[in-house]
Amino acid sequence: MDIGFSPEETVFREECRDWLHANVPAEKRPLDAADAVDFDKAWQRRLFDAGWAGINWPVDYGGRGLSIVQQVIWLEEYAKAHAPWIGANFVGINHGGPTLILNASEEQKAYHLPRILKGEAIWCQGFSEPGAGSDLAGIKTRGRIEGNELVINGSKIWTSFAHVADWQELVLRTEDGSLRHKGLSWVICDMHAPGITVRPIRKMSGQAEFTEVFYDDVRIPLANVVGGLGNGWKVAMSTLSFERGTGFIADQVKQSQEIEELIATARANGMIRDDRIADQLAQLRAEVAAVRAMTYRNISEVVRTGQPGPEASVIRLFTSELGQRLERMAVILMGEDIIDFAYGDDNAVADYLRGFAATIAGGTAQIQRDIIGERLLGLPKSR
Amino acid sequence: MDLTPNDEQIAFQTATADWCRDHMALEDARARRDGLWAELEAMGWTGLTAPGMDLDHATEALVFAELGRFLAPIGLLSTAVASRWFPDVVDGKVALALTASEPEPLRVLDPAGSGAVLRSEPGGLRLFDLPDAFTDQSGTLHTTPHAPTIDLSTLQSRHEWTSSLWTEDDPAPALHLQLLSAAYAVGCADAARDMAADYAKLREQFDRPIGWFQALKHMCSDMAVRAAAARSQLYYAACALDENAADAAFHVAAAKRLADQAALDNGRTNIQVHGGIGMTDEAAAHLPLKRAHLLQFIAPAAREALLA
Ligand SMILES: Cc1cc2nc3c(=O)[nH]c(=O)nc-3n(C[C@H](O)[C@H](O)[C@H](O)COP(=O)(O)OP(=O)(O)OC[C@H]3O[C@@H](n4cnc5c(N)ncnc54)[C@H](O)[C@@H]3O)c2cc1C
Repeated sequence: MDIGFSPEETVFREECRDWLHANVPAEKRPLDAADAVDFDKAWQRRLFDAGWAGINWPVDYGGRGLSIVQQVIWLEEYAKAHAPWIGANFVGINHGGPTLILNASEEQKAYHLPRILKGEAIWCQGFSEPGAGSDLAGIKTRGRIEGNELVINGSKIWTSFAHVADWQELVLRTEDGSLRHKGLSWVICDMHAPGITVRPIRKMSGQAEFTEVFYDDVRIPLANVVGGLGNGWKVAMSTLSFERGTGFIADQVKQSQEIEELIATARANGMIRDDRIADQLAQLRAEVAAVRAMTYRNISEVVRTGQPGPEASVIRLFTSELGQRLERMAVILMGEDIIDFAYGDDNAVADYLRGFAATIAGGTAQIQRDIIGERLLGLPKSR
Repeated sequence: MDLTPNDEQIAFQTATADWCRDHMALEDARARRDGLWAELEAMGWTGLTAPGMDLDHATEALVFAELGRFLAPIGLLSTAVASRWFPDVVDGKVALALTASEPEPLRVLDPAGSGAVLRSEPGGLRLFDLPDAFTDQSGTLHTTPHAPTIDLSTLQSRHEWTSSLWTEDDPAPALHLQLLSAAYAVGCADAARDMAADYAKLREQFDRPIGWFQALKHMCSDMAVRAAAARSQLYYAACALDENAADAAFHVAAAKRLADQAALDNGRTNIQVHGGIGMTDEAAAHLPLKRAHLLQFIAPAAREALLA
């Protein structure tokens, strides 16, 4: 075991650092999704042009074809440089693209992957429905086959960035009368198709980053089905494994930045003299170190065996709850100033309020605990 | 960068676990048999960390986590560390003193058969003579009684401060002890987790294994999360020591803090998962918890080290 990097990796790290130092935009990412998306697209394009998009994606689809370790190095330097949040490109880069690489046809990959990497196409994820959240297999949105098209009716909810998206990972029921995990398909849905209505939903932090999406006789070519008609559950599970796994490395890396800032703040405002605060900060710093160790261990596992170990779900749960503890500490250190929060503010209070998503989105903490108990410890399935 | 054990390390790990399962079962920790130490010596566990062995910290951490899983004797920690840092003087078993301050007598753990005792101090490690019996000026023979501790496998005694040797001004010796005791705590947390998960699959109520109930399943999942976080940090800390990293002291302290918490929390949870039988002396569920309460005082992680 070792935590050192090869000379080649060290050179790569320096390249990342130098480029980021010279190129990270000085202006802040705009708060509202509609304005932010232009910012996100422009930034993604710059990353692509400079060769920093899709570091471990295949070269054939516009990636660099480098190792996952180099991807992690990039993300570490990215966080250190305070580079902007990936924003509206989250779905495409972190799980839409990877799902396509694994499951899609050559035509689908050749068309979509370069557009994702260049920031030309924004993706969103249409999995959850009003009646199917944790119980994803309860999906009711239907796609009726008519000739070489699917005619779609139904609705999705909590779809982040749908109001600015061009494409959607849409999971729907394509087999009449099918139950649960059967008869579902994973479809590339054109968000500009007639019959789609998007209603933005404001979060308690003030931003309208997620939405409700209605489908009224929306026509999508059958050629947009990924991984075969009726195989949607399997493809969706691969999407979730990316969303819950490697998609969150960036968050984990960011936490090591955040804890240092919290300690600095507590030193500056004197609150570190409070024993309870000092002890909580010490604890958080140890936990943040453990997240990095867990991530490295998981990455090592990927390098060694080609796939993340079963402990990926452990990292996801630990990181999401740790993120919330960090956000809670940030508002504790604000003292009474939390009272001044108003919609439109983009500060620690907004992060704290937005941060409740970490244990809800992408599978709630309860569902993660089921997965850990059943897959890692072999306890009997409850559902 | 690779935080997974290599083939050689896995072989060490497996050999340790296999031997412990056959010769040092966790259930027997409530009363270890007399000949155990001699067997440990014969098998080479006590000299594993001696300078000539050239094992890296990562391998040591892996082996000590396995030993810790079976609640191996506390004296093995101090003997292993003393053999590394006082190779010329250490011969045989070394007990472990907790950090009492003078003039309070030393609290010595696992004194039976030990000729010396190791104590961790801010500046380094100290090795004291440990006379088991001595004759005072009037010719009266004093023997030190061995008293029980909360950890049934560990006895203790009180000793006056005797002459001692110091390690040189170097943080490494104390970090070595902290790392190996963190490894013991990681093993202890694993043991409690596995005991709980096994029982949750076996015990049935309401016509199904109790592990079916989410209230229990999620308690077990949290045990797995705590153990995984502590173990990962242990590996990282061991590598940081191997590389002489500038922040090695922080990483070892973080490993000890998380390992102690995992051992304590998992120890407590394990008893709740077992229900009534869990709080009996007859069952083994109390053994990891009691060990955890002892380990938390061995080379504890200082807050200053975590915030440095
Ligand atoms: C900020 C944010 C962004 C999101 N973005 C997207 C997106 O882009 N695309 C998308 O498809 N979805 C998105 N989601 C939806 C997300 O995946 C769901 O919210 C999540 O899966 C939970 O579903 P639910 O909201 O219906 O809650 P429910 O499933 O109704 O859960 C309510 C409560 O019950 C608990 N619960 C439910 N079932 C069980 C069980 N079996 N055992 C124990 N407890 C249980 C849950 O843990 C939770 O505490 C987003 C959510 C948020 C908060």
